[in-house]
Amino acid sequence: MIDRYQFLVPDFQSKEPKELALLSIISQSFFQPFSIEDNLLVILTALTSGSGVGFNRAMLFRTSGDKLKGEVWLGPRSAEEAKTIWEVLSTPGIGYVEIIEHNRGLLTREAGSLSQIIKPLVYSLSQENLTIPAMSAARKEMLLVRNSRQEAFVDPKFLEIIGVDEFLCVPLFAQDEIMGVIILDNAYTRQTIEPKDVKLASLCGLMAGNYMYTTMLHNKMIEMERLAALGEMAIFITHQLRNPLTMIGGFTDQLLNSPNDKSKKRRNLEIIRKEIGRLEDVLYELVHFLKVDMKKPVPFDLRPEIQAVLQSSDIKIKSEGIEVLVDIEERLPKILGDPTYFGEAIRNLLNNALEATPQGGRVTVQSRWEDQNWVVVRIQDTGKGMLPAVKEKLFSPFFSTKDKGLGLGLLFVKRVMESCGGKIEVDSEAGQGTLFRLYFKSAEEGRSDG
Amino acid sequence: MKKILIVEDEEALCLLYKEELSQEGYDVMTVYDAEQALEVLNRERFDLIITDIRMPGRDGVELITQILGLRKDIPIIINTAYQSYKEDFMTWAADAYVVKSSSLQELKSKIKELLNQ
Repeated sequence: MIDRYQFLVPDFQSKEPKELALLSIISQSFFQPFSIEDNLLVILTALTSGSGVGFNRAMLFRTSGDKLKGEVWLGPRSAEEAKTIWEVLSTPGIGYVEIIEHNRGLLTREAGSLSQIIKPLVYSLSQENLTIPAMSAARKEMLLVRNSRQEAFVDPKFLEIIGVDEFLCVPLFAQDEIMGVIILDNAYTRQTIEPKDVKLASLCGLMAGNYMYTTMLHNKMIEMERLAALGEMAIFITHQLRNPLTMIGGFTDQLLNSPNDKSKKRRNLEIIRKEIGRLEDVLYELVHFLKVDMKKPVPFDLRPEIQAVLQSSDIKIKSEGIEVLVDIEERLPKILGDPTYFGEAIRNLLNNALEATPQGGRVTVQSRWEDQNWVVVRIQDTGKGMLPAVKEKLFSPFFSTKDKGLGLGLLFVKRVMESCGGKIEVDSEAGQGTLFRLYFKSAEEGRSDG
Repeated sequence: MKKILIVEDEEALCLLYKEELSQEGYDVMTVYDAEQALEVLNRERFDLIITDIRMPGRDGVELITQILGLRKDIPIIINTAYQSYKEDFMTWAADAYVVKSSSLQELKSKIKELLNQ
């Protein structure tokens, strides 16, 4: 016997213990595809909502380099507003989503928004004479300030803005990295901040710090991957350009140095012409790859597109000595995509298949209506197949087993398939040939003849 | 006459190097891959090897390692389109690393230097 449970659904009206409700709200929001700003808003909302921790106002400072900058201040602007808001929010039926929406409204309201007041506040975290609130962040200490006006460590400008005697600073950090600080107060209810409030606020702080840290790492990782891809691109393009340039330069110098050597003149010029063509190929492939910009997929008949590719001269030349079998189902529905990109994708795969197949081998292009909503195009060859290590990297940019070419072809095909809502699969073993399956969405509902 | 072996898979580049270096007074032999190079090296003696490296991780580098193991006493120039692997190779594999260029001057002067001419 197995009982299945849903993950806790966040609910501000929950009869669960306050702490559990709070944890639930925050951890749920981290699962959502919200932006970091939205998730931080959820944390601030949890800290200021009645069924959360219940502070009146919450202020968020975030680090940027070694600076701590005022960013968001959530809460009513006056005691009157507080009363109205709390009445509205305590109406039965008001839940999590409504409160978040309400708070978002508070933040986006330009004039008179609390956040506008703290945005000019910027503190250095590396300076020697730290003041509150920066001190809490820099030292990673929770600070409960009881008599702010008599406390020399509180920054006067900050004190003027917050205007209360008692407030709590919760540092946000993870793995030695300071992410910010949250400042909480009870400006309207004048309730004393109790140890239990401090405990709950610290829990929120730990979660927020970890969340911000993970998000920062994630963004850094994406950035590094981009830079790495760019670096690889630069290396490969350089390589692809340098060989032709070496030859163009060398054969030109020969002509310049021995202008009377008639035998070399035509030969050298022919080589130079050919190498210039190679430079153009590199540019073509690069631009072509960068340009996958598909409009909305449209229904089209794939048969004429496949025929057009098979009839093109470059494919015809490559097919010499290889048996090319075409097997397209009679009653094939239209598929969703872009006919031009479809043709280019098929050409790419056919080119690869023909290049991998020895003389006397066979390449098959087959299409079937399968799985109700999918039309599958199979391109199979009896060529040399791939080792697992090659298969693994197949769709990586700038990966190629050919001496010529940028290694962008299959990535292009993959991008085409993704942009029309389809997918690509590959089966291959060394010595066994390769099979590519392209799944296109059928433009008609499930097949009628079952 | 000093004998030079060139390992280069671009046919036209082999032709260019052969003509240019022959004119400089060298006896030049060209092969298109490292396997052929190994075969030739087992038969004949050379005073210098000029070789390309292909992409790291592919057969080229492995076979070049074998060439190097076979003839440690012969000076080797790596001549390649890849600029960024210089450090990787200079430490263990080659006496000079010349990036392919539209001018053959650097390659020619490195050859002279390594052959003490």
